[in-house]
Amino acid sequence: MTLKLTRRATLKGMLAGTAAFATIGLLPAWAQQKGGTLTVGLTYEIDTMNVYSTGFLGDAQAAVVEGLLAPDKDAKYVPVLATEVPTIENGGIVVSEDGKTMKITYKLRPGVTWHDGKPFTSADVKYTWEAVKDEKFIAESKDGSAEVASIDTPDELTAVVNYNTILPTFASTLFTFGIFPKHLLEGTDLNTSSYNETPVGTGPFKVTEFQRGQYVVTERYDGYWKKAENGDALPYLDKLIFKMIPDTNTLITQLKSGEVNLVVQTPYSQAKQVEGIDDIELIKGPLLSWQHLDFNFKRPSLADIAVRKAIAAGIDRNVLIKAQGGFPEAIKSPVVPVFEFYDPNTPEVAYDPAAAAKLLDDAGYVVGADGIRAKGDEKLSYTFMVQAGRADDELAQQVIIAQLKAIGIEATADNKTGVAYREARYNGGYDLIYGRWITSADPVYSVFWGTGGANNGQSYSNPTLDAAFQKFENTLDPAVRKDAAIEFQKILAEELPTISLTTNVALIAKTKKLKNFVPNPTNMTNFVDTAAWYME
Amino acid sequence: MVDSTIEAIATTPPQSYGRRALKRFLKRPMAVLGLAFLVLLALIVIFGPLISPYSFDGQDFSLIGSPGPMTAEHWLGTDELGRDALTRLIYGGRVSLAVGLAGAIISTLVGTVVGAFAGFYRGWTDTLLMRFTDVMLSIPTLPLVLLLSGLFRPGPVLLVAIVGTLIWMGTARLVRSQFMALREREFVEAARALGAGGFRLMFRHILPTAIGPITVAATLAVGSAIMLESALSFLGFGIQPPVPTWGNLLNSASSWLSVAPWLAIPPGLCILFTVLSVNFLGDGLRDALEPKE
Amino acid sequence: MSLGYIVRRLLGAIPLLFGISLILFTIVHLAPGGPLDVYVDNPSVSKEALDQIAKAYGLDQPVPVQYVLWLKSMLVGDWGYSIRTGRPVLSEIVLRLGPTMELGGLALLLSLLIAIPLGIISASRRGSKLDGTLTLVSFAGISTPVFWLALLLQLLFSVHLGWLPSAGYKSIGDGSFPDRLAHIVMPAAVLSLATIASWSRFIRSGMVDVLNQDYIRTAYAKGRGERGVVFFHALRNALIPAVTVIAVDFGTVISGAVITETVFAWPGIGRLFMESMDGRDYPMLMGLMMMGSVGIIVANIVADLTYAALDPRIRYG
Repeated sequence: MTLKLTRRATLKGMLAGTAAFATIGLLPAWAQQKGGTLTVGLTYEIDTMNVYSTGFLGDAQAAVVEGLLAPDKDAKYVPVLATEVPTIENGGIVVSEDGKTMKITYKLRPGVTWHDGKPFTSADVKYTWEAVKDEKFIAESKDGSAEVASIDTPDELTAVVNYNTILPTFASTLFTFGIFPKHLLEGTDLNTSSYNETPVGTGPFKVTEFQRGQYVVTERYDGYWKKAENGDALPYLDKLIFKMIPDTNTLITQLKSGEVNLVVQTPYSQAKQVEGIDDIELIKGPLLSWQHLDFNFKRPSLADIAVRKAIAAGIDRNVLIKAQGGFPEAIKSPVVPVFEFYDPNTPEVAYDPAAAAKLLDDAGYVVGADGIRAKGDEKLSYTFMVQAGRADDELAQQVIIAQLKAIGIEATADNKTGVAYREARYNGGYDLIYGRWITSADPVYSVFWGTGGANNGQSYSNPTLDAAFQKFENTLDPAVRKDAAIEFQKILAEELPTISLTTNVALIAKTKKLKNFVPNPTNMTNFVDTAAWYME
Repeated sequence: MVDSTIEAIATTPPQSYGRRALKRFLKRPMAVLGLAFLVLLALIVIFGPLISPYSFDGQDFSLIGSPGPMTAEHWLGTDELGRDALTRLIYGGRVSLAVGLAGAIISTLVGTVVGAFAGFYRGWTDTLLMRFTDVMLSIPTLPLVLLLSGLFRPGPVLLVAIVGTLIWMGTARLVRSQFMALREREFVEAARALGAGGFRLMFRHILPTAIGPITVAATLAVGSAIMLESALSFLGFGIQPPVPTWGNLLNSASSWLSVAPWLAIPPGLCILFTVLSVNFLGDGLRDALEPKE
Repeated sequence: MSLGYIVRRLLGAIPLLFGISLILFTIVHLAPGGPLDVYVDNPSVSKEALDQIAKAYGLDQPVPVQYVLWLKSMLVGDWGYSIRTGRPVLSEIVLRLGPTMELGGLALLLSLLIAIPLGIISASRRGSKLDGTLTLVSFAGISTPVFWLALLLQLLFSVHLGWLPSAGYKSIGDGSFPDRLAHIVMPAAVLSLATIASWSRFIRSGMVDVLNQDYIRTAYAKGRGERGVVFFHALRNALIPAVTVIAVDFGTVISGAVITETVFAWPGIGRLFMESMDGRDYPMLMGLMMMGSVGIIVANIVADLTYAALDPRIRYG
């Protein structure tokens, strides 16, 4: 599903886009050095190390706990504790004869041990599903657990997952987040277990110290299963430390003083300062996230395609990008370019305020004495909502308000927070809304613009679009999915229920000494693959 | 009427009180300086935005992206949205001062009414009101304000109301003690003997006599309210952009501190000097209005 | 001061705390939205999932019922469970209380050690240039935004001079006394700034009042070799009004801790409060506010007792 529950809160601060401008050296075979400590600065406080109950993306967790699969730097799933990604071709996925259910077989990696030395087996996989599904376990993320009917474990290294439906997005849920150690957790209360502070995983690093409100220390796990291509034992780093520093100014100060040497979410506004620090380089990491402006179709003028087109033509993405430090990139489709489903031929409305004005003139919206257009009683004066307190969103909002003013449209900030925001968004308590979504590597889009979609507060309904979503989301056939994706992107771009504005990027400030660091665009964070990182 | 002559005698302090207070006040150079600064500041924030060629939210698209330097066009540079920093500073001063004044007025009103009733009626009224005051005094202020503004996301008006309704307790205690002392005095007795009712006694007879300490408390409350707003803004719970206040200007500029110190230093200094002036003024007023004789 | 008096004061605090809890609970539960707010951005969370979580935390009960349940857990239990971490509120708070006590305690100590001499010097040289300067400095101290000062100090001492760590409670793998001292210096200095400034003012004015009294003047005029004794006596009397102020300022320290701990990444209850604000962790917020209120009430009782100890004329029976 789109955007993990658990993986939500950090998105607040998260910024986004594509392409790294710092060169990421490709493995000079001689240079990898063992040892060293990397200190990471986080702006949030780690609530729990349990990947299924954390309210954040799970940076530290990803270095410790592994799942069967993980998305790589291109948002493609690669095997981790499994030996291959199940597909129809390799026989890993078998669809039932009636086409309504499926069965997925994972072959598990042999020789993997938990941090306590015990072997990892299929029983752990089965237990993970049972534990997450358990009603008593209060988790923020149970996605994908309800769709599983049962799990068979014919042998220690085979897990057969029987689904009660077709779930094309299976890889982005349950077993990808992490596997629980059955031998340690069975029979314990997961809500209060010490596992939540010092989890035992199979990852390259094991937790040695958890200090609430301060830091988490992880040290290299000598029994880690993965080897480098040249045969080196992994991981290279001795220690990976996660420090929690809530104030971003302080965080940047710590970068300057060398007390922290990796920050994965540098605010745009701090980028200039970071660029001035010796030994620190700034990397632009892509994110599966985009910024968008949506319309409420209950407003007659916003249900008018001419007005929506004019607004699209009236917004200069370059100014928006500049306001955010020049880091995001312009997009025309909600399917961000890193996805293979992205269609580069999606039509787009170019920035042209004169054309916007003409569109509105032609549609009969004339400029009034106060500079605001109106047609009859319908004045082009809108309430404009973003989530209050998000500096980056409020910044973008101010830019958009200024640009709309230039084409005779008045937008007034009406920002809300909390449930007030949530309710307004779901019930259409706005005229214009600006926001940013982040998705998993395998997103669905019908929740946003499908008729009655969970996040469709716009009262937008288009049967053709619904059909395209339906095709996209209910098949495992890549060719069919690709066609459907092209279709719905075209409809969205022409009908404009939403204007896709820019990508978001993660600004990563890292010490130049850290090598082999590869940004990960997904909600599984950059720490999903830490084994090969080394310090020069 | 006889009543009014007595009243005049009862409420009007000796003619020389005002002049003597003024004389005492003028002897405090820092207080005079503080007052002068505040008057000047008031003039600037009232008329500055009218003179400025820029509006507080007017963006220069060509300058957007990062703070602009100090130039002849933009004396204090521009912020990351290409807005004139000086204009925003002055306009922010207007908002901050308004928050300070309104907060002080609300807290003084609430505090005076609560204190007056408690001190005048004593007994159950006193017990009830003072227990309530104790309750409010026992809740840590900043966390409570944060809780309220975090949960309700108030606009500027509601925020001022919240600030004002949370700093009145000191005034209430002060007014109560004044009223307790004054209600037994001869001039009150005299007015009472002539049939003045409770409200009349409280607000026509006693209150004017207690006005000195109340003025001092009100003055100092302006400073508290400004500081409270800036702390809220720093923690992200203050007045929301694009409306500038010194607090949120300081907060947003602090991320540019080492790149564009000209944005972060002025709002900090403005808060510092304004609150400093308010404190000196309050101190001077205390000496002038409540001489220890 | 008798034991009976202390007991009566403590009993008197009970209705006070009850009133506080009612007010806080009402505020928290009248607010639009709730702890489930944190799911606001998640496009995939279903209503059923939300309902289930709400049920797990008792959020589906009527508010009065929730209040009774909460009160019960405050009195005999673990103060409820944190929605953010799932752990008992009481143990989370206890965990964070230590660092705050250290920071607050050092800040109070610093305030006393600096404010008393400053106040005395100012008072004894009333009207001098030194007095004027100290007055200016202490007023400036009250008037400086704490977070701004903290930022400037960090830049100076951590980045430019490199003398002190910019934030945190201790170094990882260290935690020796010098290491912790290095970490606590800046936050404690920042936290004590406002109290130093205001207390030195109160001590100054208290001293001025006492020094002006006839018996002191007489003692001075006689010029006997007991000046020290007299001065000490004056100081004792001057401290009496100051004690009340110090107790009231306990609340200021708590408020200051919220900001200071955030800026300096200090793992105390002030920061826990801010984290809980972000997560709309109602049980935790309630617990923390009650905790702070108890602190202020206790500080006031202690102040009254100190008052009695300093002033032999006051006897609480």
